Amino acid sequence: MGSPCEVLVESSHEQPAQAVASAVAACAWRIEAKFSRYRDDSAVARINRAGGETVEVDEETAKLLDFADHAWKMSDGKFDITSGVLRRAWTFDGRARVPSPDDVHALLPLVGWSRVTWQRPRLTLQPGMEIDFGGIGKEYAVDLALAAAVACTDAPVLVNFGGDLAATGPQRDGRAWRVGVEGVAGSHIPWTLELAGGALATSGDTYRFITDGTDRRPHILDPRSGEPVRGAPHSITVAAATCVEAGMWCTLAMLEGAGAEAFLAREGVRHWIQRK
Amino acid sequence: MANDKRIGGALAAAACGLLGTASPVRAPAAEPATKSTDGLWDVDTAFLYYGESDGRVQDASLNAIAVRDFGDDRKLSLDLGIDTLTGASPSGATASDQPQTFTSPSGRGTYTTNAGEVPLDSSFHDTRFALNAGWSQPFARLYTFNAGLGVSTEFDYQHVGANLGLTRDFNQRNTTLNLAVAYGQDKVKPVGGVPMPFSSMGDVVDDDVTPPSRSGDSEDKKVLDVLLGVTQVLGRHTLLRLNYSYSDSSGYLTDPYKILSVVDPVTGEPLVRTPPPGVEGPGGVYLYEHRPDARKKQSVYGELRQDFSGKVLSLGYRYSTDDWEVDSHTLEGRFRFPVGESSYLEPHVRYYTQTAADFYRYSLADGAPLPEFASADARLADLDAYTVGVKYARQTTGGNEWSARLEWYRQTSKAPAQTLIGNQPGNVQMPDFDAVILQFGYHFSL
Repeated sequence: MGSPCEVLVESSHEQPAQAVASAVAACAWRIEAKFSRYRDDSAVARINRAGGETVEVDEETAKLLDFADHAWKMSDGKFDITSGVLRRAWTFDGRARVPSPDDVHALLPLVGWSRVTWQRPRLTLQPGMEIDFGGIGKEYAVDLALAAAVACTDAPVLVNFGGDLAATGPQRDGRAWRVGVEGVAGSHIPWTLELAGGALATSGDTYRFITDGTDRRPHILDPRSGEPVRGAPHSITVAAATCVEAGMWCTLAMLEGAGAEAFLAREGVRHWIQRK
Repeated sequence: MANDKRIGGALAAAACGLLGTASPVRAPAAEPATKSTDGLWDVDTAFLYYGESDGRVQDASLNAIAVRDFGDDRKLSLDLGIDTLTGASPSGATASDQPQTFTSPSGRGTYTTNAGEVPLDSSFHDTRFALNAGWSQPFARLYTFNAGLGVSTEFDYQHVGANLGLTRDFNQRNTTLNLAVAYGQDKVKPVGGVPMPFSSMGDVVDDDVTPPSRSGDSEDKKVLDVLLGVTQVLGRHTLLRLNYSYSDSSGYLTDPYKILSVVDPVTGEPLVRTPPPGVEGPGGVYLYEHRPDARKKQSVYGELRQDFSGKVLSLGYRYSTDDWEVDSHTLEGRFRFPVGESSYLEPHVRYYTQTAADFYRYSLADGAPLPEFASADARLADLDAYTVGVKYARQTTGGNEWSARLEWYRQTSKAPAQTLIGNQPGNVQMPDFDAVILQFGYHFSL
């Protein structure tokens, strides 16, 4: 998952806690292996290597692709799992490196879910296109891991994969879980949320950004222009029933840039936004 | 996307399609902690009893610390303490095979110590009030700042102090550096006035007369403390803390109530004195002590905490040295382990040892030139102290916690051989004692 993964089980007995830990770890490793774009043997790598050929995918991958398809439609094309190739031009490592418009434009033909043929269970990308499940995969893993934990125990459980988390409900004594959210660099400060059930996801990374000397731009790119979204908040945290939903709200709100607050307010989503 | 389009339902449906029945239905129920703790005070209250053996110092204290979180880790803390001391404390005079009579600190009366007993000044009683207020808040992503003010007052002593602290997290918050500075300004207003250094204990005087050899009503003292600390997470279960601290005291560091016996240079027996006819007064020669007016102290402290799946062991060591030549070592260990679902027990042991201050004297020899400084306060002699105790705490279903702590303390001291005169090596009596510490605590929110 590229981040620390943890599970909290409120139990005084070791055996069920161990079972939960094993189930959650197995879930995390399985999803990591299957959907990581960094692993040559993953299902995602197989799709990205197809070079324009049609690939038949398994049921789980198909469900993720369906979800991505829905999200693309819902966002009028702003959320797009083919936008990752834009990273070839934009390197979000904090260095002052803004690519030339030509570099970005050269990549745009490789971006766009509309160029993809998705007819369950067959997927055809244009040669050179790639997909990745960033913004979905980790959140999906959290929801699955929590479901796996619930199958092992009645004890209260909280699953936290790198700040995206979900809980079965409150703790045993009825108190909510206390969740710290990292504050953004500069003026803001860390704060704490209480989670009595459901999921929390946070988007906007404190450390990953590029700067051209005057403007720090977070790593949200609009796939239609290839440019970073203007006015995006430094961090968005959303509470929803599932982590998949919470994560998608974060991503969609980020893509709204300066309109993130208005967007989430209009949708009636519980959210916390940090701007510098 | 169009401004009036709502997509919540579509997203929920899509998530349901993805997760299917794998996802138990869970209502989103996140709230900012600041909201639910708004208006909440976290309060720690404690009643403590400290009792020394043989009717010496007894201290009963009540303490309440209330912390209010205003959100975003901005915290106000208020700390109120009241304690009442009664009993007697060693005056510094040596024991004798004769009864000894002393003038009390006020100069208005006398008290007598039986033969063979360590002289204790029983006029020792006081009530102390203390109030501290502090504020702490993060001020940048990895910094936390705190500041505080404190006052305390008792009938012969006033203290005002201020402190400032800064912590900075590093290394993904696995390392915390802490810098703290505290400054205190104290005023001592001894009963009967400030005795002149090495002046003799005088005879009893009338109520409207100042006892002889007093330099004034009060004296001042300043203390500056600087602490530099680092806390390092060494693993999921191990924490290391290292502190360096520097303390600089200046001003009146003498204890205005402590005296030294003047003894026969050959036998080491206290001199015998007869007050003038018709006057009450000391039956020996006793000089008020005199300490240097500056003390610089440095110490290093290391503490290791290890979590053995719910059982927590912490081991600490402190070394301290100062320019009074008081060097000390402290070793301390605690082991906390759960008992049942909601209780824990925590045994505690501590050992402390120190070398004597270079001006410590058991007594002063008659006729010999006075040293520049001298004190017979046993707390400045070679000293060992042991503490053994246990704490039990239990969490209530409402999330509050009560605790009880019982400790036994023993302090033994020794006068360095070179400070003994005549026959004293064979019959030194140091004011050693045992003490019991009993504390009840209750932690709650309101």
